[in-house]
Amino acid sequence: MDRSRRNFCLGAGAATIGAAMPAAAAPGDATPGRRDGDPAHRWAMVVDVGKCVGCQACTVACIMENDVPENSFRTIVSTYEVTERGKAGSYMLPRLCNHCEDPPCIPVCPTGATFQRRDGIVVVDNTVCVGCAYCVQACPYDARFINHETQTADKCTFCVHRVEAGLLPACVETCVGGARVFGDLNDPDSAVSTLVREESPKVLKPEQGTRPRVFYVGLDPRFQGKVDGTPTLWRPSGQSHAEKEHA
Amino acid sequence: MSMSRRLLLKTSAAGGALAAFAGGFSDTGRKLVKGAWAGDKPDHAISGNAPAPEFRVDPATGDLVPTPGQIVANVACLGCTTLCGVRVRVDVAKNKVLRVAGNPYSPLSTDPFLPYGTPIKESFKSLSRLDEKGLNGRSTACGRGNAALEMLTSPFRVATPMKRVGPRGSGQWEPIAFDRLVEEIAEGGDLFGEGPVPGLRALRDLKTPIDPAAPELGPKVNQVALLSSVNDGREPFVRRFFNQALGTINFVGHGSYCGGAYRSGSGAVFGDAKKMPHAKPDLQNAEFVLFIGTAPSNAGNPFKRQAMLLAKGRTDGVLNYVVVDPVLTNADNRAAAERSNWIPIRPGTDGALVMGMMRWMFENGRIDANYLSQPNGKAAEAAGEAGWCNATHLVIRQAGHPRDGRMLRASDLGWVTLDEKERYGAKDAFVVLDPAGTPVAHDALMGPAALFHDGTVATPAGDVAVKTGLTLLREEAMRLDLRGYADACGIPADVIAGLAQEFTSHGKKAAANAHGGMMAGNGFYNAFGVVTLNTLIGNLNWKGGTIFGGGRFPDEQDGPRYRLASFPGQVKPSGTAISRPVPYEKSSEFKAKKEAGKPYPAKAPWYPNAPQLTTEYLTSGVVDGYPYPLKALFLWNSNPVYGIPGVRAQVEAKLRDPKALPLIVAIDPFINESTAFADYIVPDTVLYETWGWASPWAGVPTKTSTARWPVVTPRTDTLPDGRHVQMESFLIALAKRLGLPGFGPDAIADMDGRTYPLERPEDWYLRGGANIAWLGKQPVPDATDEDIALSGVARVLPALQATLKEEEWRKVAFVLARGGRYQNQSEGFEGDKATHRFKDGLLVYNEAVGAAKSSVTGKRWTGTAAWTPPAFADGTPMRQVHRVEDWPFQLVSSKSVLVSAYTIAASRLRHLHPENPVGINAEDARRLGIATGDRIRIATPGGAELATAIVRHGVMPGVLAVEHGFGHKEFGARPHVIGGHSQPAVPEIGAGVNINDLGLPDPTRPGASVWLDPIAGTAVRQGLPAKLERVAAAV
Repeated sequence: MDRSRRNFCLGAGAATIGAAMPAAAAPGDATPGRRDGDPAHRWAMVVDVGKCVGCQACTVACIMENDVPENSFRTIVSTYEVTERGKAGSYMLPRLCNHCEDPPCIPVCPTGATFQRRDGIVVVDNTVCVGCAYCVQACPYDARFINHETQTADKCTFCVHRVEAGLLPACVETCVGGARVFGDLNDPDSAVSTLVREESPKVLKPEQGTRPRVFYVGLDPRFQGKVDGTPTLWRPSGQSHAEKEHA
Repeated sequence: MSMSRRLLLKTSAAGGALAAFAGGFSDTGRKLVKGAWAGDKPDHAISGNAPAPEFRVDPATGDLVPTPGQIVANVACLGCTTLCGVRVRVDVAKNKVLRVAGNPYSPLSTDPFLPYGTPIKESFKSLSRLDEKGLNGRSTACGRGNAALEMLTSPFRVATPMKRVGPRGSGQWEPIAFDRLVEEIAEGGDLFGEGPVPGLRALRDLKTPIDPAAPELGPKVNQVALLSSVNDGREPFVRRFFNQALGTINFVGHGSYCGGAYRSGSGAVFGDAKKMPHAKPDLQNAEFVLFIGTAPSNAGNPFKRQAMLLAKGRTDGVLNYVVVDPVLTNADNRAAAERSNWIPIRPGTDGALVMGMMRWMFENGRIDANYLSQPNGKAAEAAGEAGWCNATHLVIRQAGHPRDGRMLRASDLGWVTLDEKERYGAKDAFVVLDPAGTPVAHDALMGPAALFHDGTVATPAGDVAVKTGLTLLREEAMRLDLRGYADACGIPADVIAGLAQEFTSHGKKAAANAHGGMMAGNGFYNAFGVVTLNTLIGNLNWKGGTIFGGGRFPDEQDGPRYRLASFPGQVKPSGTAISRPVPYEKSSEFKAKKEAGKPYPAKAPWYPNAPQLTTEYLTSGVVDGYPYPLKALFLWNSNPVYGIPGVRAQVEAKLRDPKALPLIVAIDPFINESTAFADYIVPDTVLYETWGWASPWAGVPTKTSTARWPVVTPRTDTLPDGRHVQMESFLIALAKRLGLPGFGPDAIADMDGRTYPLERPEDWYLRGGANIAWLGKQPVPDATDEDIALSGVARVLPALQATLKEEEWRKVAFVLARGGRYQNQSEGFEGDKATHRFKDGLLVYNEAVGAAKSSVTGKRWTGTAAWTPPAFADGTPMRQVHRVEDWPFQLVSSKSVLVSAYTIAASRLRHLHPENPVGINAEDARRLGIATGDRIRIATPGGAELATAIVRHGVMPGVLAVEHGFGHKEFGARPHVIGGHSQPAVPEIGAGVNINDLGLPDPTRPGASVWLDPIAGTAVRQGLPAKLERVAAAV
């Protein structure tokens, strides 16, 4: 860009804060309490937010794939209008269960319905869940809800039924911008391992110590926690305006 | 994320945490004690109700195992007008579409897309985790495309033919038997107890003129009109009925109230006002793209292809781009930092921006002189260019000269002698000046010609004052200085200069593009200007510049297998279409008025530089009967009452009046705002129930044809012979009843003259598929048994084998299995140039525009791009009539990420985005005391609506931003009563506001009208004068 570029450049000038990334993934089978799944894998997602176009293909594909009940979302793209030095821009932030290494939803579950598989995927056994919603409150990412049809806790499973069939999660398959990348952190040659190694991605709310396994490439640190922006998607899920944004 | 979660948080925040937990405990206790399911029991302990995956791919061996009972079929989406190739996963036993994603062979859904020869089995593997192929090979459907399947099972679908039983628009219907439906529409009669209604048999008069005093209007059959929407791959079939068999000239699509102004402005550059060719930026290779009034990756066409290439380009690639628009959308992404920028602009002032950029380019020598100076294609090729233009061609500019505004021609100089018919035609060369300043025929000079000239040329008839086209453009650009342009458009002068510098800093690897934002009262010239920017850098046909697109494999032509374009007895429609897309000066009205001494104004505008325009059909055609009244209106998946700004207020009373328009027939799967006024509704098939051959509008460098074929059984009524009620079966039955040519037995001939029936949809579309299969350098291969089994084509195999020849059906199966025919991606470019090029010269000066006169004022138009403020038909600027003091705001429309005009009934989209709050700039909101969520009342000279406000910085001050697709009055917003049964009541479908209900009439026109661009005749929804007041606080 030459000098004239400044004439119309927003000049975001976002200072990149040193990424507080975890070291390479811990082997899943080393962690007590995990069951099911193949410990040879540690499934993870990397989201390149610069590629997200906010089309909500992921949101709706997830609904269709998983028969998510009406007015509930296992994943959604938060869409913000942000203002910097008087100039406005759009920001898109896909959100889903972070399949944390240290998931705060598990210890609060009174029945053991919520558990982590040995491949890292955090799931809910709906035959055990009693719908108490402690996990819903414990999740700092607002990623869980009570399924109003089954009255049990519900959340993203990384489409475990597809992953086990050798396929990709629905949201990844249909990501128009190619923002969502899914794969195995235990495989050093996988796309997610490469991105985590080379792109210093960030995680949401690192201060919570949950060690998420959903990473974000290109994420402005101001979006890691509560976001100061005008949500433009408008009241999804029948929420009133005051409630409609994520923590 | 969920409602319950939000409620919990809210309670906690309010200090009721203890109560919430206590409630939780007691609830837990209750459920534990109950020891049973409190809700519905899902299918699987972990995956709930997710159906089994469509197939399994062993990550180690690559073995593929399909899931019994499911098929994965490649067809087309119809959630918007892009018509992407999609793969549809069907539960066969339930006749249910489970999910939709992208077709990996389709460039509209995939980048890179699969080589066409790839076996279906390998295509499935390319989507899987096997070697992580699915990450780079992903083929997508957008949010809307994922949800569109809801339309198949919508409770608001019309499945049975219906006849109104109350007054028009009353919402009262009775089912009518199919045969009776066909009979009533064909024969007419006292169908509603309101008096006689002419049927199509009576209306099909191909001989008697509508008006003996104006024979140019054509025969009475022209009083039948069909309004279409977008070519969904079936338009040639409908045209066969209405144009070629019935014989009316009136067949018109939705362009004039969609993005027609852009297309018209582009058509002015490409030299075709009827087909309006347009190029698209090559986003895959461009270094800088300027989007003006279009929002790639927010919406637009081809939506996903633009979005995926933009996302890739601004991150991994070399693309920088700027979006100029009154409203910030998802076209921007701050995470892409300086790669993406939004610049706000005042509505309807894009012409000021681009003419300012041109001024800077002329003043700083930043035009591509090597390209612009080549006078013809051969010279251009020799100069290393990929195309040429008429910048150097001389235009007669001499006041009072009979040919003022026309191109100087070889015959003017006495170089050739041509008869009246051929003079000034293609054989009559243009004139340029060679480097020595000597006039020479444009096609005789094999090197550069003079770019600028303002002087005289000696002709046998004396000296004639002439200028080059580029000189005329430069004069237009120099009319204001940069500050003047900045004052007009609200973009600072140094930003205009910066944009011009950036735009001209990348050689051919830069592009400008526009679309729906051009729908202003000066849209034609704004668009002409945007496209002329591309001409000035000579980027057409270049990799990284603008590309014309590869086009398609046409199904409906004559051959190579079947003659689908022509048939014995076909009618060539004649006369003048309702919207008058011809010169007024050739009309009887003009001649009569000229004789009377006052040829101008015409009763209403004529549009010689535009195609047929739906924007005139309801006002002129129905209300005013000008130039003649319509007697039967067919609406095929068309909704002009919702889509044309200001039209409802102008035409609703007449649409309700059978005396004004005796017959309205709708062919549509739903009841929309227009079909609600119909006398009959014939249900049509939806999405994946339907045959067809679709194609992209532009933006794909390779040839592309997308197949539509039924992968589920249509939910419309079944006829006794097993066919379903749908557009095709209705028109075939109607044609047979009327004895029209081109339908029934022996209606289709092959290339040897053997004939075949046109009795079922397959008869048409499968033979079209055979044409497609045989086009190109060589026919496609035969489908393998494995292809047929895995692709779901086995479902339609009996129809293929029954309809096609032995050597044909496997080839058509090959095409259907891959969801269409796609030229390989590697063939898009030859070196740095596009394979498929636009070969004619582009027009810097458009003679057809520059020599035409307004039929209202009799004044000549400008023949180049120009800055002119939004105006009404008689040239009065809008702001002289609707003054800023009274109407301080301007309304603009932007396309929705999720909702299109006809997808509002999809509940999954509605829940995600239930209404369209109107964007208002933060400073305006502060001044007026408006907060986000407040209810506001927006008024224009055309109407008033209540809306919800959202306060934004991403809206230009003085602008009110309305997202398209909401504010419905039908599609379920109002329950209709069919055969005594009421549809469900879902008032949420009516949420939000429709900008088109706030459109204006043209106060300078007598009779019924809506505000249209005076040249393009396109609807104005960008820059509607408005005022607003706060009504109530947020709920």
